[in-house]
Amino acid sequence: MWFTDRHFFLLAVIVYGFSAAYSVFLWRKGFRKDDHVNYLLLLFAFGLHTTAMLRRGFSLGRCPVTNLYEATTFVLWTIMAVYLVAGLWPRLRFLGAFASPGLFAIGIFALMPGLDTPHSDRPGLPVPLTSLHAALILLAYGAFGLGSVAALMYLTQEHNLKFHKLQAFFSLMPPIQRLEATVGRLLLSGLILLTVGLAFGAYDLTHLDNPHSYRGDPKIVWSLGVWILYLALVILRRSAALAGRRFALCAMGSFAMVLLTFWFVNLLSPLHNP
Amino acid sequence: MPGPRLAANPALHGFAWPLAPRALHMKMPLIVIGLNHRSSPVAMRERFAFAETRIPEALQLLRQQRIAEEAVILSTCNRVEIYAATSLEPSAAFAELKEFLVTCHNYREPLADELYVLTEPQSLEHLFRVACGLDSMVLGETEILGQLKRAYELALAHRHTGGKLNKAFQRAFNVAKHVRTETSIQRGSISVGSVAVELAEKIFSSLNDRDVLVIGAGDTSEKTARALLSRGARSIIVANRSYDRAVALAKDLGGRAVRFDEWYGEFETVDIAISSTSAPHYVLNREKLDSLMKLRGNRPLLLIDIAVPRDIDPEVNRMPNVYLYNIDDLQTIADGYLKQRKEEVARCEEIIREKVKALLGHAGPASSRGDVIRDAWCANANPDQ
Repeated sequence: MWFTDRHFFLLAVIVYGFSAAYSVFLWRKGFRKDDHVNYLLLLFAFGLHTTAMLRRGFSLGRCPVTNLYEATTFVLWTIMAVYLVAGLWPRLRFLGAFASPGLFAIGIFALMPGLDTPHSDRPGLPVPLTSLHAALILLAYGAFGLGSVAALMYLTQEHNLKFHKLQAFFSLMPPIQRLEATVGRLLLSGLILLTVGLAFGAYDLTHLDNPHSYRGDPKIVWSLGVWILYLALVILRRSAALAGRRFALCAMGSFAMVLLTFWFVNLLSPLHNP
Repeated sequence: MPGPRLAANPALHGFAWPLAPRALHMKMPLIVIGLNHRSSPVAMRERFAFAETRIPEALQLLRQQRIAEEAVILSTCNRVEIYAATSLEPSAAFAELKEFLVTCHNYREPLADELYVLTEPQSLEHLFRVACGLDSMVLGETEILGQLKRAYELALAHRHTGGKLNKAFQRAFNVAKHVRTETSIQRGSISVGSVAVELAEKIFSSLNDRDVLVIGAGDTSEKTARALLSRGARSIIVANRSYDRAVALAKDLGGRAVRFDEWYGEFETVDIAISSTSAPHYVLNREKLDSLMKLRGNRPLLLIDIAVPRDIDPEVNRMPNVYLYNIDDLQTIADGYLKQRKEEVARCEEIIREKVKALLGHAGPASSRGDVIRDAWCANANPDQ
């Protein structure tokens, strides 16, 4: 059939694009009303996105996280699924206006040529365990991504409150203290998922011959770096050494770093890019 | 405000006329006569006010005198209105109602255009506007809806309403609900105290576990503290140069008083501080607050400075997790909300016109505005004539 899962994903990204354009108007209006139009647009895009992932998953016979394209679409799907659940509560529906421009950009990136390489499992690695490892880590990145969306909301509202802008009062944004707590919880959830995912990965490695030879693999080193970074963020937040605006900036900066280096590091890794 | 004149009025005693059969009057128009805060001063409104306990008698009299087949009397501090369904010609009905009002309250002075009279469809538009708070002194306020409901329920309980008024009032309550959900006419706070509460709710997840420090026991700070308490603030600490005044206010608010030179020590635990001292210089500056914020573990701190001259150095607003608002900032927000409400009036009016059209069951244009119409006969009316 000529209409492949990538075509479905392409359609989904186009609808994400419409949502991103519509979000510009919502930003200008200042989130004064629950917006169901944007929610329905994103719901439609999510349907197309899910279809694309299901088709790819069935064709592979496993969780579709075998290359950069699939990993990216998985992270995107996770963030969108969480938003759609949160958006069932009308007061949180405007979150889509914060998320959709970023999701559209990530979707465009996923569609770039060269990312959707034919998958090649490293012989000797059990497929279910590898899928679980990849899925958990990508869910962790999804949580970090959502955390950065909440952090962006925090920074927007905090700026409006600091500068006494009326928009701070007219908008439907939650209190900044609740937003900060949400960022903290999302980062903690992401850290737990990342920890479990990395543990599965470490266990997965024991199935390979001479697993110690992968100790210096760029992706492993990078993943440990990301883990330490988020662990530090969570600890500093818990100890109140990092709070408010600085914490939100760190949450956004950390996810930006993950986004900007993930694909590059993946390409450098012989273990993850055999 | 009560309407004490009614009890003394002999016209309310001795009901001689039988009630008119309601079935004969299903096509009667709804008419309104009344006076409000725009048409008359408070001195006149209080003369015409009805005490709630006397309203059933007045309604009974209206029906016994065959002025109205159905009637509801709304009497609040800002308006006294009679909503009536009558089989009389509107001009005759208005003359009778006016006579009823002046006789009822023993009002002997000449009337200019303080009384307004309305017939359909303006009377229905007026009723809907009143229910929505569009005709209130504080635009969009919701208290009037409760007062209107009580007035209607009182008339209903004494069987002075019928098909006409029941339908009109039920529809008015529905329209008020519709307008509240579809527009922003009732959104936001338009008083300084309420804005402060809303501000706190934009910063803190909940006000239930928040401690408030009041520095300087002024009138506005007291009102603001009360508003915060009413929304669930946990405790109030009052510091004032006069310790006795601090103790009195703290007792009144259910909080505790501290001596004026001790308020600084409370900053570690409080979340909201309201300052309104008469000090000629800043009582809190960045240097002082810097060390306190470390002790607070970087928890957010809302500072409301309602003193003139200001008590808190504006520089502190640059500090992380500190939010400083002065009296002008709060007033600007209140004005912003009021502006937003005014912008919503046109939408509300549009909804009301549509609802009146639907109620009357015709597509003819209702009046473009639901304004009060004053009849010429009111202009030089004299109750003695």
